Amino acid sequence: MKLINYLISRITLFFTGVMLLWSILYFLLQMKEIHDGNDEGLTNLKQEFIAKANTTPGFVENLKDNAPLNLIIREMMQEEAEGVIESFTTTKIYFATELEKEEVRMLTTAFRCEQDGKYYQLQCFTSTVESDDLIKNMLYLLLGLWVALSLTLVIVNKITVSRANRPFYQLLDELRKFRLDSSRMIDLPPTRIKEYVQLNKSVKELLERNITVFTEQKQFIENSAHELQTPLATVIAKMEMLLEKHQDNREYAEEMAGLLGILNRMKRLNTNLLLLSKIKNRQFAKTAAVNLRDVLDAVFLDFEDIAAYRQITVEKKGSDSPVVQMDEDLAHILFTNLVKNAITHNKQNGKIIIGYASGSITISNSGNETIKDVFNRYQSEKSSGLGLSIVKSIVELYGIDISYRFENGLHIFEIKLT
Amino acid sequence: MKILIIEDEYALLKAIEDFLLAEKYIVEKATDYYSAREKAMIYDYDCILLDISLPGGSGLQILDEMKKEGKTGNIIIISAKNSLEDKIVGLDLGADDYLAKPFHLPELQARIKAVLRRKNRGGQNVLNIGNTKIDFDNRQITVKEQVLNLNRKEFDIISVFATNKNRLITKENLAEYVWGDHIDSADSFDFVYSQVKNLRKKLKESGSDVAIENVYGIGYKLTA
Repeated sequence: MKLINYLISRITLFFTGVMLLWSILYFLLQMKEIHDGNDEGLTNLKQEFIAKANTTPGFVENLKDNAPLNLIIREMMQEEAEGVIESFTTTKIYFATELEKEEVRMLTTAFRCEQDGKYYQLQCFTSTVESDDLIKNMLYLLLGLWVALSLTLVIVNKITVSRANRPFYQLLDELRKFRLDSSRMIDLPPTRIKEYVQLNKSVKELLERNITVFTEQKQFIENSAHELQTPLATVIAKMEMLLEKHQDNREYAEEMAGLLGILNRMKRLNTNLLLLSKIKNRQFAKTAAVNLRDVLDAVFLDFEDIAAYRQITVEKKGSDSPVVQMDEDLAHILFTNLVKNAITHNKQNGKIIIGYASGSITISNSGNETIKDVFNRYQSEKSSGLGLSIVKSIVELYGIDISYRFENGLHIFEIKLT
Repeated sequence: MKILIIEDEYALLKAIEDFLLAEKYIVEKATDYYSAREKAMIYDYDCILLDISLPGGSGLQILDEMKKEGKTGNIIIISAKNSLEDKIVGLDLGADDYLAKPFHLPELQARIKAVLRRKNRGGQNVLNIGNTKIDFDNRQITVKEQVLNLNRKEFDIISVFATNKNRLITKENLAEYVWGDHIDSADSFDFVYSQVKNLRKKLKESGSDVAIENVYGIGYKLTA
């Protein structure tokens, strides 16, 4: 859930609850006020009526025949009358004109008419606001108010919160794009909000420290690999001299040759390591339009004897000649490693298929084993395992996409050029 | 043949010196920029092996000064840097070859010989061993006027042997010639073995004086 939506939903929920409570309270108070007004009117009417009945002879008799619509008068026994307690009720009465029962506020009381000394029950009523209608209307109004308020809340919140959070989201976006190996500092969004200023500052320090450490590390690897070259050259040269000198002693010579083999392996590892760090340190900055078909042709020329020896057939499919802007040497290194890989991990009488299409090159070779995490093997039985790491760092340098899959007995490396 | 080795790593310098002395070269040494520049400017050498990073300055500066003075000295750069830029600059400044450290001594020998051949034979890059003629420019071997039919790698192999006569070349060393920097697999030794086998067969059938001898399964040497 997005922070902004979380905030808005909570705020809206809370305010809606408050509004609901307030609406109920408002409704009850309003009803009470209306009834109070009506009751006061009815009391006045009753008092006027009783006063008139007491002073005007025949008023009640007269009224019995021509009672106004809002008065009901009925003669009753004294005992009964004395039991009547004056009360206000909300009840329904049928109105012929309306063809329905209407809600009315009714005052029920009893009195003794001084003119004739009889007891009467008096009911006077007035039509009042129908509570159903009132509730309905108020509900509509309040609903409208809620919706309007909630919408305003949501919109205003969204605008303010997202405006206030813009630096935060910009920072988030920049951080997502950040790549440690590109060693480029991100653009920190300008802001005046104190917390975000602090956040910017912390992020900046953190990243700068990381970039520095990473760069130092890369440089260190390159420097150490570099520094190792001369001592390695020295030891190898000395060993070769020794081997030369003692080649008549078979046991000695074989021992020396074994040692030389280890040293040479070390040399190759170191050379590859150096190459790898040079690529990662972006020391191959020259780019030119390189025709990859030409590069692959040259690479295959170099390997044709080995391929022939292992009876591996090479097949070319497609007539496209993809051209890429990159360092030509790196292009050679890239395909040399891929082709070497395709030969080394092939089987006797196997095949290599090169597929050229617009925007992609596939290098497939027959083979049995399935390889996991093909680009990250640091060690493999047959080689230093750095070859495909080199491939990976070269394609990463140029934003070229490379993928590996095993399909129908073929190891397929696909290079997508965009 | 007089060779100047300019190299600041003394142990490596010594190894190269021993190797070249065994090849009957006259060897002079310099271990820093100033002594190297002095020697390179005053004396004439048949070949100079030049390291680029030297105490006191860069080997490229020496190249530059020699070029300005009009001195050409058959220079082979030996550098730990293996950077293309250095290579291009070096070759532009008149170096004849560039060899990245670490290298094998037989390879250095092959390069030195190639440089010397170019100098001494007026650019004709040919080596004769007995009745066998190796033409490096045309990548061709002729035995008794008969051209041998060799594939690319077979020629690469014979050229290493030819410039390192009677010297033991390990199988691994050969494999590096064949696979370049990228060799690493045990398979490559089988391949080298088969290439050498073919090469021997072809040499024998042609009646060449050149023979490639197996040395205890660790390597080979060329005898004539």
